[in-house]
Amino acid sequence: MAAPPTRPPEKFLTIAEMMNISDAEARRRMEMLEFGHDDEARLRAVSDLAERYATDVIDAIYRHLLHFPEMQAFFPTRELLERVKGQQREYFLRLTQGNYDMGYVENRLSIGAIHERINLPMKFYLAMYNFYLREVGNRLMDEYRDDPKQALETLLSLMKLTFFDMELAIDTYIDARERTIRALQQEAIRELSTPVLPFRQGMLLLPIIGQIDSPRARQLTEHLLESIRTNRAKVVVIDITGVATVDSRVANHLVQTIDAARLMGAHVIVSGISPVIALTMVTLGIDLGRVVTVGDMQSGIERAESLLQEAGDEGEGPAEA
Amino acid sequence: MQVPILKQGPYLIASIQGALTDADLMQLRENLVQAVRRHRSRGVVIDVTVLDVMDSFAARTLRSIATMTRLLGARTVIVGIQPEIAFSMVQLGLTLEDTLTSLDLEDGLAMLKAAERGRDADGPHS
Repeated sequence: MAAPPTRPPEKFLTIAEMMNISDAEARRRMEMLEFGHDDEARLRAVSDLAERYATDVIDAIYRHLLHFPEMQAFFPTRELLERVKGQQREYFLRLTQGNYDMGYVENRLSIGAIHERINLPMKFYLAMYNFYLREVGNRLMDEYRDDPKQALETLLSLMKLTFFDMELAIDTYIDARERTIRALQQEAIRELSTPVLPFRQGMLLLPIIGQIDSPRARQLTEHLLESIRTNRAKVVVIDITGVATVDSRVANHLVQTIDAARLMGAHVIVSGISPVIALTMVTLGIDLGRVVTVGDMQSGIERAESLLQEAGDEGEGPAEA
Repeated sequence: MQVPILKQGPYLIASIQGALTDADLMQLRENLVQAVRRHRSRGVVIDVTVLDVMDSFAARTLRSIATMTRLLGARTVIVGIQPEIAFSMVQLGLTLEDTLTSLDLEDGLAMLKAAERGRDADGPHS
């Protein structure tokens, strides 16, 4: 599938850029969660503790989640499970290391994107976070036995940050799904091939509805020229009432198609050029001089009929004589 | 490869049988022009159905045949340009403007007859 030429290729963008999550947007989200310097300090303070409990917590999480058969499917081998656990450890340790900047956002988004790609259901993602918070909550209470308020504050800070993570993860899921849906839609629209309708002996109608991009224009040309041959068409009415805009490439392609049809002995009449398209054509300096254009499809068919009549009168004339 | 030129009433039919070299094309042009004079033909149909390439030399030569025969009083119709050839010709800018083109031999002959009738019909009025 050809990408629109105006946008730079996406592979040069970071995930955050692709999803329009700027530095300002990330800060805004932090503000909404009321995540501040105090929170960062509290999390950093339990960094060592986190190192100590991380492996146990993760083991507990996987022990719990692997009760579910649909989760087991993601870990066909023990090695894979161990590797994922190692990565999970890094992931959770990152929560208490401070510096929740764009690098952090990018890291969270890329992990979200990987999970989306392997179709890990969101429910596991959230269940995992929930389990993590509960496990860590208990351990914090133990750690700050003499200062339950500090334990609670730390847990709340951690909760804010995990919610920030979840937002990002959910966004990557939504973004990826939207991309997939858009791509499928584009595909479907392209496949709704433009019908070439034999209207009467020697006349074809070609109503074009929707956006014409270059691949569709190419397909349309092939289809039309083949149809001229099979239907022995003398006149073709291309109706573009349903086309909102054309760019210069498509307009030129249309003109070429019309010329090609003429080489095959068929006249082409274009009907239903909207004012916007007319303006585009004039602005782009596209020469429609050789093309017969009429206002609407009705006039197009009328013109086509009179052309056929002329050809018919003349063509059959000698046979009568 | 020599292109056979058939006489059909007042018309000539040049039916190309395979790929043509530049020299073949020049030969065709000369033969056709002479045949038009000899038979006092009123129309020429050049059938290019079998051609799977049409380069700029071929297109230019066909166009010049059309112009030359017109000077001798015969209209030339090019017939049988295939869809993919038509489109690639247009992309190369070989639009054969002011040359008659038609779908196939049958349509081409009908077109010549039509053109002639048109001329006859116009005659008395103008």
